[in-house]
Amino acid sequence: MLTKEQKMKLYTNLVRVRKLDEIMVKGVLSGKVCGHWSSQKGQEAVGVGATTFLRKDDYIFFCHRGHGITTVIPKGISPRAFIAEHFSKNSGACQGMGCLHVADMEYGAPGLSGSLGGDFVLAAGMGIAAKMRAKGQVVVCIQGDGTYGRGTFHEAALMAANWKLPIVWGVENNQYMVFTPTSDIFPKENMADLAFGYGMPGVVVDGQDVVAVFEAFQTAIERARAGEGPSLIECKTYRIEPHTYGMVDKRCAGLRSPEEIEPWVKKDPVNLFQERLLKEGVLTQADVDRIDREAIEEMEEAERFATESPAPDPQILKQVLYWK
Amino acid sequence: MREIKFVQAIIEALEEEMTRDETVFIIGLNVQADPILTPVRLVEKFGTKRLREVPIAEPGILGCGVGAALAGYRPIVHSRFVDFFMPAADELFHKAAKWRYIHGGKVTIPVTFLAGIGGYLGGGGPEHSQCLEGYIMHTPGLKLAIPTTPYDLKGLLKTAIRDNNPTVVLYHRILVGAGTSGLVPEEEYTIPFGQADIKREGKDVTVVATGLMVFMTLQVADQLQEKGLDVEVLDPRTLEPLDIETILSSVKKTHRLVIVDEDTLRCSVGAEIGMQFMEKGFDYLDAPIKRVGAANSPIPGGFMECYALPQPQDIADAITEVLGIKESFQVKPLELLKPGRHMGERLGYGKKEN
Repeated sequence: MLTKEQKMKLYTNLVRVRKLDEIMVKGVLSGKVCGHWSSQKGQEAVGVGATTFLRKDDYIFFCHRGHGITTVIPKGISPRAFIAEHFSKNSGACQGMGCLHVADMEYGAPGLSGSLGGDFVLAAGMGIAAKMRAKGQVVVCIQGDGTYGRGTFHEAALMAANWKLPIVWGVENNQYMVFTPTSDIFPKENMADLAFGYGMPGVVVDGQDVVAVFEAFQTAIERARAGEGPSLIECKTYRIEPHTYGMVDKRCAGLRSPEEIEPWVKKDPVNLFQERLLKEGVLTQADVDRIDREAIEEMEEAERFATESPAPDPQILKQVLYWK
Repeated sequence: MREIKFVQAIIEALEEEMTRDETVFIIGLNVQADPILTPVRLVEKFGTKRLREVPIAEPGILGCGVGAALAGYRPIVHSRFVDFFMPAADELFHKAAKWRYIHGGKVTIPVTFLAGIGGYLGGGGPEHSQCLEGYIMHTPGLKLAIPTTPYDLKGLLKTAIRDNNPTVVLYHRILVGAGTSGLVPEEEYTIPFGQADIKREGKDVTVVATGLMVFMTLQVADQLQEKGLDVEVLDPRTLEPLDIETILSSVKKTHRLVIVDEDTLRCSVGAEIGMQFMEKGFDYLDAPIKRVGAANSPIPGGFMECYALPQPQDIADAITEVLGIKESFQVKPLELLKPGRHMGERLGYGKKEN
């Protein structure tokens, strides 16, 4: 059971991530973001539920959508470092060299694979390290539905199951691979079924319900910390926005219909949790307003910080290729 | 100094570094069972967690190496066949090579990739006979050593394991399999990367050779000495970083340069060394540079491989050509490569103790 404080923390993180997403959208439209932005709006409950209560020394991998926004922010990377990285500023998490590739090992975040699905095997390697170190660390590896088509998942899942590595595999199933419905690609309804071939638990949860996501991950994380091996959790969610912000929004050859999107907009994870907490009396309307205001202030301040930060010194290009 | 075999140098480096640092472990196919590389003693000493046996899953194996390195361990990823690094190109060329750079130096990847290279297996075919050092040298972010003596191999492998960068160490399968030996000190030592070694001094021509080609060139040089040709044989030992200065000063003395490299000629390590030399040392040359390497084709299977891979006679002819000698001096084929030994024997898996 979650305490009142824990529920407040989950809700606050959902709101913070949502406000940060809005800043990033503005950043793309104003040209401040170098590159692109794949909005994770409507999918926040997955990463936030899975990672808000991780230990600082646990490791995380995240799907490309949101560039880790729903996991690295709860894990502790500052919105300042996240935004500045996307603005290619020297104050960014990776000194402005990574842009969408945000990493900081102080928070157990080693990076984002450019080739989707490349993270599975790295997660297995970090799982080996965590197991050898024997300090109870876990690896939470949340990847998009499309990446589970990669053979890397099979290889990593096989090794993790065989060696009982402390890993939780998460599927953030938003039902789309760019323009292609995932259901066109995978023969079964539930991707969680992939787990059974490796003898690990595979569960399906409502990815719009942050508490359900938290509980499923918590069970799997406890199992992993206890040395009982990996689990697979499929979080059913939906991609509200186009693949990348501003891109044409297609489904196969045609356009995606508003009728398809609309029911999922109503299942917004922030609103759903807010209604629930108001009903439970955990939150008052005053709390809701305060959390909103504080999140906006935090993200706007971070955005100003990033805007005002200087560009990286090109000298860095000669300094970081090799460890010296 | 004592004389030890090539494979013993690998085992000594692994054992010493695993004893020295408990974060060092080995991961790869048959690492618990390889009759050459992993004596039972190592498994008994370090256990199966530090000699980690794997499924046939190259992206998984190399990925585990990179992942564990990201998390602070020092894995050694081993494969007898560097060819099988190709299925794991993403892990080697993207993750290991690029992740430190793209993350602004925020992550460190102290992984060592140790693999066997090369053909002359008497039937390895195109996917078991390659030298991939060209691909690796081409990719910024990876350090690369290609030792050819037990002494160099032990010293460079130990340096690689201690290096905080992703490092590739390639040994030639034939040198392991044939049980070639060399002098190695009893006491501990390491060899820094970026220092070429003159394996044979000479004044008439410089031959820069890598891998098994060093071995082959030395034997050719001895035979040409009888004809009065004094050949200097230079082994770069590491290709990233490359010690171009030693090559320049050698050619400044000899004025002639032959580059021998077992990889496919086109875009090979030899091509890169030659071009780097031309940018700095053109004025030292009295004749155009001559390259010897594998044909621009896959390595054919079976006996036919000898037509694609460089042979001692090719090296001898290149040397006489840059010296302006019209005559061709006949040299013997390499003893190690004589026909009649099956592939298992050439890899060192024959019945005889290696």
